[in-house]
Amino acid sequence: MHPRDVPDDPPPFLGTWRRVYIGILIYLFVLVTGFYLFTLAYR
Amino acid sequence: MRVLDWIVLVASLVSIIAYGLYRARGSNTVDRYLLAGKSMPWYAMALSIMATQASAITFISTTGQSYVDGMRFVQFYFGLPLAMIVIAAVVVPVFHHAQVYTAYEYLEKRFDAKTRALGSLIFLAQRGLSAGLTIYAPALVLSVIMGWPERTTTICVGATVVTYTMLGGIKAVTWSDVQQMGIILGGLIISLITVFVLLPSQVGFSDAVYLAGAAGRLNAVTTNFDWNDRFNIWSGFFGGTFLFLSYFGCDQSQVQRYLTGKSIAESRLSLLFNAVAKIPMQFFILFIGAMVFVFYLFVQPPVIFQQAELKRISTSGNFAPLAEQYQQAFDRRRQAALALVEAHHRVDPVAEEQQKAAYRAAQKDIDRTRAATAKLVEATGGEKGFSDTNYIFLSFVTKYLPSGIVGLVIAVILAATMSASSGEINSLATVSVIDIYQRYVKRDGSDHHYLVASRWATLFWGAYAVAFAGYAHRLGSLIVAVNKVGSLFYGSLLGCFVLAFAFPRVRGTATFIGMLVGEAVILLTANYTDISWLWYNGIGCIVVMATALLITALQDGAASATPGKPLPR
Repeated sequence: MHPRDVPDDPPPFLGTWRRVYIGILIYLFVLVTGFYLFTLAYR
Repeated sequence: MRVLDWIVLVASLVSIIAYGLYRARGSNTVDRYLLAGKSMPWYAMALSIMATQASAITFISTTGQSYVDGMRFVQFYFGLPLAMIVIAAVVVPVFHHAQVYTAYEYLEKRFDAKTRALGSLIFLAQRGLSAGLTIYAPALVLSVIMGWPERTTTICVGATVVTYTMLGGIKAVTWSDVQQMGIILGGLIISLITVFVLLPSQVGFSDAVYLAGAAGRLNAVTTNFDWNDRFNIWSGFFGGTFLFLSYFGCDQSQVQRYLTGKSIAESRLSLLFNAVAKIPMQFFILFIGAMVFVFYLFVQPPVIFQQAELKRISTSGNFAPLAEQYQQAFDRRRQAALALVEAHHRVDPVAEEQQKAAYRAAQKDIDRTRAATAKLVEATGGEKGFSDTNYIFLSFVTKYLPSGIVGLVIAVILAATMSASSGEINSLATVSVIDIYQRYVKRDGSDHHYLVASRWATLFWGAYAVAFAGYAHRLGSLIVAVNKVGSLFYGSLLGCFVLAFAFPRVRGTATFIGMLVGEAVILLTANYTDISWLWYNGIGCIVVMATALLITALQDGAASATPGKPLPR
């Protein structure tokens, strides 16, 4: 009684998972920088 | 609540259950019941993961947290995208290829039976405690705000959750979560719009943001380092990464969600959606709390939002001077806020600075009066460490939101409770059947036998959660400490899984001893230091790894000194 194995497909965008992960890291950097600037602007 | 509120509330809840059960047709094998036959699309898993994580008390508390302390709580989630990348890249393919139902089943494949048993028991202990509190906490708040009896609320919510979880399994849980998430997001957006509509005509959107910022309520990023401070950028990135690695990598309530994916890519996308969407969503919820703060600049709020306690202390002789101070401070703050907006509009920097100073001084007086009132609550027999944070948003909703919206917001709270609770009950049942019952009680049962056992286990954990919720009022501060309790256990589990994935030479016994030592160190840290609970996961993980690696090095040294002797397990 074991669940079946499933395929390992490439991502639907950016070609490779490595590029998707880098994209998310860049997104996180932009988001945190944006929040920091938001904090400074309304402090 | 008015008739329209009841109609909205009942229609929302009935549609959630009906939709979940409709989508769960055919869950008649163990594989379909526990893992949806590995057929789920990424967006359903993504929303289910998000809904399971967002319990009602998180939703109620987050807005209140922003009201009293500003938006810095958002930093708690900064580590989440980092954790999601690691789990998507490393953990998801390993779990899928291992063809397991639970995360702890993998531990036996990698280490041994005792490590699997310890991991399973840690999960059952920690998540079992949490399951009761998940149902109890919103019932407590609704009983105070709405006057609903706690016991009836917990039984109704528990019975509803158990019904669709028991009948439909993970598919019902996941598709119900999707709809619950829709209701939650819709309710939040409508709440924010309504807050803006209720602001005075001379205060526009940019003015509201400006006033919230001037009172320190838009402090989304704080860069000062303090071990005892739960929410700053450093604890968010480092402590948060460890916490979310533990939660999404080792907690069956989350692992089971992404194991239902029809491919590894679908499971990865569901996690990465959360990596992208979670922080903006939390920012949005906190922003609502900040705007509720701005609303109460112009409409006097009660000195404390817990009406039952307020009524109780109002007869105390010490309350009248506090109420007087509060009234004066509120009047000064309202005048200063209006004058500040006016100075800001006519671009008069000198007047703006003067009014800002007056506005902040009045706010400090209000904070001091609220703190003194909370102390009065404690001194007159109220709860130790009294806080009204959980009552702020719901007080606002029930008093100022229009008919229909109140019902929707209550539906949001109950939907969040049900989504978190169903995920917990479903995962507790899965671990009980797969890791305990099938492994130690009956190893040769048929598929139908384990399907029936899973349904009974779901009923058991649902009944346990409701029964535990019935006694939770006696636990008092434990409700406040539920996150801390989770952190007491997650570090050991995380250390165990990091060893499993990254250190192929480490064996079962070394890991098992490492987990016990790690757990002991976390408990000592919690009892004898002031270090914030957010760091426990990192500390526990590092101690487990260091202990296991040291034992492995000693074992390797002993084995190499005895030629031909195999490495011990």
